Parts: sequence; C-alpha cells; structure tokens
Amino acid sequence: MDFKRLRADFPIFNEKRPSPKYVYLDSASTSHKPQAVIDALTDFYLQKNASVHRGVYDGAESATIAYEEVRQKVAAFIGAACSSEIVFTPGTTAGINFIAGAWASKNMMPGDEILVTQADHHANFLPWQRIAQERQAILRVLSISAENYMISCTNQAHESVDHNVAEYCIDAACRAFKNIVTERTKLIAIPLVSNVLGDIWGDNTGTLKALISRAHEVGAFVLIDAAQAVGHQVINVQELGADFVVFSGHKMLGPTGVGVLYINKKLHAQVEPYQVGGGMVFSAAEHESRWQMPPHKFEAGTPPVASIIGLGAAIDYISERIDYDSLRLHYALLMSYLVEELALMQQPVIIGNLHYIISGSHIINIMVRNIHAHDLAGYLASEGVAVRAGHHCAQPLAHALGYEATLRISFHAYTTREDIDQFVGALKNACVHLGKL
Amino acid sequence: MSNFLYQDELMDHYRYPRNRGELAVYDFRVDDHNPSCGDRVSVTGTIKNKSIEQLLFMPQGCVLSQAAASMLAERCQGEGISVIMALTRDDIMQMLGIELGPTRLKCALLCLQVLQEGIRQYSLRSGLQID
Repeated sequence: MDFKRLRADFPIFNEKRPSPKYVYLDSASTSHKPQAVIDALTDFYLQKNASVHRGVYDGAESATIAYEEVRQKVAAFIGAACSSEIVFTPGTTAGINFIAGAWASKNMMPGDEILVTQADHHANFLPWQRIAQERQAILRVLSISAENYMISCTNQAHESVDHNVAEYCIDAACRAFKNIVTERTKLIAIPLVSNVLGDIWGDNTGTLKALISRAHEVGAFVLIDAAQAVGHQVINVQELGADFVVFSGHKMLGPTGVGVLYINKKLHAQVEPYQVGGGMVFSAAEHESRWQMPPHKFEAGTPPVASIIGLGAAIDYISERIDYDSLRLHYALLMSYLVEELALMQQPVIIGNLHYIISGSHIINIMVRNIHAHDLAGYLASEGVAVRAGHHCAQPLAHALGYEATLRISFHAYTTREDIDQFVGALKNACVHLGKL
Repeated sequence: MSNFLYQDELMDHYRYPRNRGELAVYDFRVDDHNPSCGDRVSVTGTIKNKSIEQLLFMPQGCVLSQAAASMLAERCQGEGISVIMALTRDDIMQMLGIELGPTRLKCALLCLQVLQEGIRQYSLRSGLQID
C-alpha cells in the first residue's frame, strides 16, 4: 500500500489549510474523511435528496434502494449472516443504550450478572451500571492489568473475588473465564479495542472467541464495542459468535451521526423496539399497533439518510484502498518509531503493554511526570499538533491505573512518520516550557 | 486557541504561586475538583467588614488551574465580597489575559467557583448580607 498516495485522498490535509502545520493525532476521537465520502454526501444532497421507505416517486425509490444497499454492504463488511441483522443508529453510544433499553431492561432479572471491563468506554459501562441498578442485577467489573492485560474480577461491592487471573493466552484465559462466567451471567459487555489500552485481544482474537463460547455455554450473551476496531482490522461477527456488536461511522472514515448495531438474528424475537413512531410500524390503530420485521422494526423516524450513504462510501473506500495487513504493519512501524523517540526523551511514561502496543495498535497513551496532560495538549495545540488529553471517557480505568489524565496519540491510515517527528519535537518543547524550575 | 502558554505572567504565577496554602483558622473552607481532568482546588479565607481579610488557595492540577488560583487570590486580597460574588468567567479570562475554549475554561474557573461557594456558605451561616 502506498500510504502517501492514500493521504492525498483526504482533502483536509491539503495545502489550502490556513495553518501550514497541521498534525492530526486524534483519529480515535474522530477520523478524517476521504474525498469519496465527502462527495457521496454532497452528491446525495445535490442530486438525490429524498426520504426513504416513504415516497413512491423516482427519487424516493432510488434513495430507498441506495439506503438498503448500504445495509447489505455493512452486513458483508462485518460478516453478518444477513442484512436484517444490521440496524442503523446515531452511533455506538446509541446502539448500546438501545440494547440496554430494548433488551436488557426486559430480560435482565434480579440476581443476573452483567460483566463489564474496567477498560470499557463509559458508553459500554454506564448503561449496564444503570440496568443493574434498575433491575437489581449484579454488575461485575473485570479489571485489566495495564502491564500484561491480565483479567481479574471484582463484584459491584468492590470486594475482591479470589478468582485466578487470565493471562494473555487462550488456555489460561479459558480457565479463568470458567470461574468468572457462571450460570448467573446474563450479559458480557467488552471492547474489541480499548480506546486507552489499544488492542487488548491481540491479532488472533482466540481469547475473545473463547470468552464468547464460554458465555454461550451458560446461556449468556455478549455485546462487543467495536468502535475503535472497525476500519482498522477484519471484523467477522459470525466467526466471533457475537450477539450484539456496535460501532460508529465517524471513526471509520465515514460521516458523524451514524452507527451500526448488529443484532444476531437469534435474538430478534427478544429485542423490542427501542423507539416507536414512524417507519418501524406495520400498522397503527388507536389502541394497538404492529411492528415491522427486523431491521425496520428497530429504526424509528427518518434516518440520517445522507450519512448512511456516506457510510456506504466509507466502506467502499476501505474495501478498495486499505489492506488490513499492510495497515497493521504501518501502525507497527509508526508506533515503534514513536516509542523509540519517547524512550530517548526518558520523561514520558507509556500506559499499557509495550509489546502489544508496538505490534500494531493505533492508540497509545502517555504521561509526563509533574506535567498535566491538559497543559501538554494545550502546548502541543499551540504548535499545530492535535492530540487528546484527559480520561478519554474511561474513568473507571483511570481510577484503577491511578492516573487523572493522560495524553492519547492515535493513528489512522493517513498518519505519517513526519507526524510523529512533529509530535516528538513539540512534546520536547512542551516539557522544557512546562517543567517547573 | 491562543498560545497562552507563552504568557509570562501566567507562567510566573504557575512557577512561583502566591497565596498558596491553607489557613489554620478560617471563616470558610471549600474543596472541589473537576473529575474530567483531575484538577483540585481548596480555598480557605477569613472575612472582616464584608471584605476578604485573608485568602489562600491550595490548587493541584494543570497550569491554568494553579495560575488562576494564584492570580485570583492576589486580586481578591482585601476585596469586597459583593464584588467577588459578581465576578464572572469573562473576568477570569481578562485576569488571565487569554481566551479559552470551554474545556480549558473549566480549569481556570475552578478557583472562582470554590471562592464564591465559600463566601455563599459563610453568608448563610453568619447571616451576612451580600449586597
């Protein structure tokens, strides 16, 4: 893959920008968009704008066809069995809240257990915290060691449960999962890629598949937050055996305002509509209504049609222009280079497991002792370098690992070695300027 | 946003904070923090004749939160409490001499929030009227 040529596909980097230096290292917050995605949005509004599943005139029918083609495209993209398993949502957070409201609130019973990890984004933590409170279920938090991503478990009352930890290897993980996942487990909510620690399952996902198998043995279900994974690696929901998978369009080179919720069809009968209104109803009378079949049952109101068309263009772009093996190598080279430069500086501390980070993660978090991450980010911004500072919507992990704020540097396919050079140079200046005398 | 980190006065207050500490005897004491970034500030103060008699901040966190606390304490020594209660975010930005976006503004405002809360609590306890 020619990454320099690929970068040229992203017009935000062109020379017409007012600032000569623009180093974007915050793709985990949102990714930039190739011209093809921008063109798809503009083209839709200029030529094809119409609502879907409503009108019968040519424009409406063709918009509907285009919309449903994107659904099929998404299904193929993530290896779903059929397009009825693909529900369009406003994004990852909306998708998780959907399952919390439309499935868990009806199916979670007092005493059922929900497993989440400390590494989960608030979006995949707080809905389950609330469900546990509302349904008298038990929230069990799997802690993940930042040194080696070993997993252990505490219960909601923060008592340490004496289960053995799972190592980052399948056999040990399976043994530990057999203890952690019990007959009372109803749902396991986990990230595919942590927005702080990066790739916690490795490139073979064998451990994750083992966890999912164990969950199914006891009649539990698994919801995977794939927001930081889609567009960076192969996702095959059937191979994983996942029950629910969520991700956002804007993190995979697509528009904001759209995401995908995959619901395995074996669960369709158990999932109620989350919102009711137009578009999802088959027949509505004064006192009784019937819903459409999935997926339309789950899509109330006018959807973000243009953004969904844009999502289709993003999938086309990724499918045509990005080879995941090459992308992983690209990340590994960038990350190794960055880590080497940080080691030479001596001051920065890397959060997480170095081996896994340099193997192909696109996310890295660092701290500099005695300099607050917000100050670093503010200084870096003054030199045209965009990174994220804070807890990254993962406060439980921050508490567990004992930090208040970190600096997060994240890549995508358009990130270059020059970006790393600029970042390192600015970081050195920041440390000099902000270090107390 | 602007290059606030080049501002000499702000960096001076960060490197050499004034009015930093805790009073052993005080009329009000408030602690607060900003969980989104970890900044923490505590304030202790005494009031005499409806004005600040003594005022100390103990901030922990980013440059802005620490520098703002130092500058605000300097500004408010001997100041009337009604004037302090009327201070706004614009006054803080003017004091710092920079424009701030909404995220960083929270860091700079923390010291004002605890100070105003302290005065509010004292006035409720003591029946002191804030004009």
